[in-house]
Amino acid sequence: MSNTSWKEILLEDMPTDMAHEVDIFEGQMELMGQGKLNEKVFAETRLRRGVYGQRYDNGQRHDGFESRSLAFEEKERVKGPDTLWHAPGMQRIKVPFGGLTPDQLDVLAQVADEYSDSILHVTTRQDIQLHFVHIEDTPDMMRRLAAVGITTREACGNSVRNVTCCHLAGVCRTEVFDATPYADALTQFLLGHDDVQDFGRKFKPAFSGCESEACGLVMMHDLGFLSQIREVDGKQQRGFKVFVGGGLGTVPHQAKVLSEFTAAEEILPQAQAVARVFARLGEKRNRNRARIKFLVAQLGIEEFRRLVEEERQVLPHDDRWTAYLDTLGHYEEKPARPPTFLNGQLHSSGFNKWFETNVYTQRQEGYSVVTINLPLGDLTSKQTWVLADIARKYVGDTVRTTVEQNIVLRWVSDADLPNLYEELKAIDLGEPGAATIVDITACPGTDTCKLGIASSRGLAAEMRTRLTAKSASLPDAIKDLKIKISGCFNSCGQHHIADIGFFGNSRRSGNYKMPHFQVVLGGKWQDNAGSYGLAVGAVPSKTVPQVVDTITNRYVDEREKGESFQEWIGRIGKKEARNLIRPFMKLPAFEQQPDYFSDWNDPRVFSLGDIGVGECAGEVVSLFSMEIATAESEAFEAQVALDEGDPTRADALAYSAMVKAARALVRTQFLDVGDELNRIVQEFKTRFFDTELFFDQYAKGKFGQYLLERHQSPNLNPDSDSAHRLIEEALLFIEATHACESKVGGNVLVEL
Amino acid sequence: MIAPKRLSVTFDFEDFSLDVEAFIPVFHRWIRENAVPNELLLDVADYKHIVNGPALLLVGHEADYVIDMTDKPGLQYIRKRELGADLSQALERTVQQALQGVKLTETDVDLRDKLKLRTDAATIAFVDRLNYPNNDSGAASVQAHLADSLATVFGDDASVTRIDNDPREPLTFSVTSSQ
Repeated sequence: MSNTSWKEILLEDMPTDMAHEVDIFEGQMELMGQGKLNEKVFAETRLRRGVYGQRYDNGQRHDGFESRSLAFEEKERVKGPDTLWHAPGMQRIKVPFGGLTPDQLDVLAQVADEYSDSILHVTTRQDIQLHFVHIEDTPDMMRRLAAVGITTREACGNSVRNVTCCHLAGVCRTEVFDATPYADALTQFLLGHDDVQDFGRKFKPAFSGCESEACGLVMMHDLGFLSQIREVDGKQQRGFKVFVGGGLGTVPHQAKVLSEFTAAEEILPQAQAVARVFARLGEKRNRNRARIKFLVAQLGIEEFRRLVEEERQVLPHDDRWTAYLDTLGHYEEKPARPPTFLNGQLHSSGFNKWFETNVYTQRQEGYSVVTINLPLGDLTSKQTWVLADIARKYVGDTVRTTVEQNIVLRWVSDADLPNLYEELKAIDLGEPGAATIVDITACPGTDTCKLGIASSRGLAAEMRTRLTAKSASLPDAIKDLKIKISGCFNSCGQHHIADIGFFGNSRRSGNYKMPHFQVVLGGKWQDNAGSYGLAVGAVPSKTVPQVVDTITNRYVDEREKGESFQEWIGRIGKKEARNLIRPFMKLPAFEQQPDYFSDWNDPRVFSLGDIGVGECAGEVVSLFSMEIATAESEAFEAQVALDEGDPTRADALAYSAMVKAARALVRTQFLDVGDELNRIVQEFKTRFFDTELFFDQYAKGKFGQYLLERHQSPNLNPDSDSAHRLIEEALLFIEATHACESKVGGNVLVEL
Repeated sequence: MIAPKRLSVTFDFEDFSLDVEAFIPVFHRWIRENAVPNELLLDVADYKHIVNGPALLLVGHEADYVIDMTDKPGLQYIRKRELGADLSQALERTVQQALQGVKLTETDVDLRDKLKLRTDAATIAFVDRLNYPNNDSGAASVQAHLADSLATVFGDDASVTRIDNDPREPLTFSVTSSQ
């Protein structure tokens, strides 16, 4: 038994700079403990080390009856504003392009069981997350990870987040060329770079090799690179089509083309120039407008491009811009086994089923990529050790995480597939159904996220169980549909790009809140997140399985030959799509359906914070409920108008929906506000915005500003992009109105 | 010997036939009622979707309670903080609290008569690879220490056997009562 430390033991194994960084962080923790560091500064410091907050870390927890204080020791000691030192948090671990080695898997598994809860969670950005981690354990965890070449630096905070890349890059049958080395070069170049330290918000890059596949989803990224080859003087030149200003979040933006072709030797300086423009001109004070997508939208892509080109001209030369090009050969993967073929022997039906969905034939003859379908992106430490050995045996260092929260083994020699399947099955990782309707993506939601409104993982687990049980009888037409679930409007579950997406919200029925999910239909996963779905209505969380059945049954019944889900949604229109879910939108009273008022696998009543006196579901409904319904209808009409190609009308309707929602809220305090627009907006501003009653705990006044900005600066020539955005803003404004009314407690009742 | 960073004790269920889901409301109630003396309970983590894993966790500040389905169903108590000044204290505190968890589970109003835990045997894991690496050199002295420290619980002739697990896993022992 030793008295040494990980720091001493691993000194020789850690790269010097990584070891030094961890020491500095440990020192900052010490200073924070002594009260010598500002809590906001320390919060950003730890975030840039991937040390993130987690639900209940403010020391409060609602137990189904009331919000209670959690009796942590040293309650005055914090690790950031409103974040207790001793409350457990989340550790995000960066995995550039998703690439992992078996040795790294071993260490990840070990730190998961020593510092977390023995569960490794794969995220939608190819990261690994560990939950319930105590901050004092993080320096040693980082050292152990650093010893196998993993950093947590800039995994969170206002920094360059994990650079993602298609998990098939290098072995894909349709890619232009392997984007992996370039993704890694950008990672290394921007990590800790001086020019990326002063962002107002996070910055997410991605690389793709194929235009028409989902690949790296570049259209939803802050900065996206799509492999291209052009011919110059008879020679082929590698480069990228570069996109900027995409993003999901509360208001999704499709990325704009920054450059049709940027030569490989220019991508790093170009990215640096983009970073400099973003750091210089991006919003800093209002974090809700601080992502680069807002800057690009505000300046227009032409002006943004001009500024980037101007910046590029004055950048001091850096040898690293092109040095990596000499090391491209280093990225060539070496298979662990020679190529073989899966000859026509008979295999078990389990293997055949798995083979059909989880095996991708590489462009290199005799090899395949195997997808391990992780339930909700989770695997245990114990599974991870065995998986590391399986990887060593069959594929070597060619493991990757995926943005669909799975793990792939590349370069599996085809004749090994049956044995590999059996070995994966032995550790319960041989589930079929990868990338099908059962392979549901979900963010952490209310399980661990501070921002979660509804239980995305609870719903995903339920849907996975139900769909798996009937997977054999599911019609072919729906087998490959994507279901993606976010616990709130922030889109970490990527609901905008699913065929059927959901994001969590809540509604009030009588005196109780009920967990809900907004249904978002028709998003496009292919074409690098080619288009975003639109919300068609909110349904109680407990009805979602029936909602999915209803939508998919109708699709199966009505689809025309070869018609995709997006095409079908486009054909029936949003209005009819809303009609599909309308029967589920009715809110039962608590007494009628008490289970609707708890979330999946959580028996606590969803919220009792808004219990008021005098309302009795079934006999009276609030005036607010009546009036907000009108606003919701108008927002929906706006979507229909947009579908019909009338952005001007869509814009007007979306604005009107916000005014109506504001009026409904104002009338909970001031019945005689009247119909005059300026007066409604002024009253809303005075009573709810300026008083911050309308503010969201995390988004602050963002949603209220949507109305104030549109009221003050109407768009005289709306196009479909801007109208789409305003509709999204109107929907969020209405959501915020619901939340505010719940918080304030309307008291004007109407007898039916 | 110094206290390990984490220590876990697992007691197996006898003829476990309950749906793991039944523990969810129980654990939430334990949090609400501060059911465990001297421990702060925080949250319930649901991992039922993982086959043969830690299906359900009652996460606490000092310790976690796990309905563990990894090999066979068991109640695992993982002590994470305030283990004590040395290994003896850590073992005593961890095993006593684990037994307290057993009692709480067996007598819970919603679980009573529906389950039984075997306390004549336990699995003890040293989740601390720095101080208690899973190798032969340290295992022998720990093994002797375990037998002495656990005599009050498992009897003087308790049998302590090192589990032959993967060296990457924590150093683990099975303890069986002689009675």
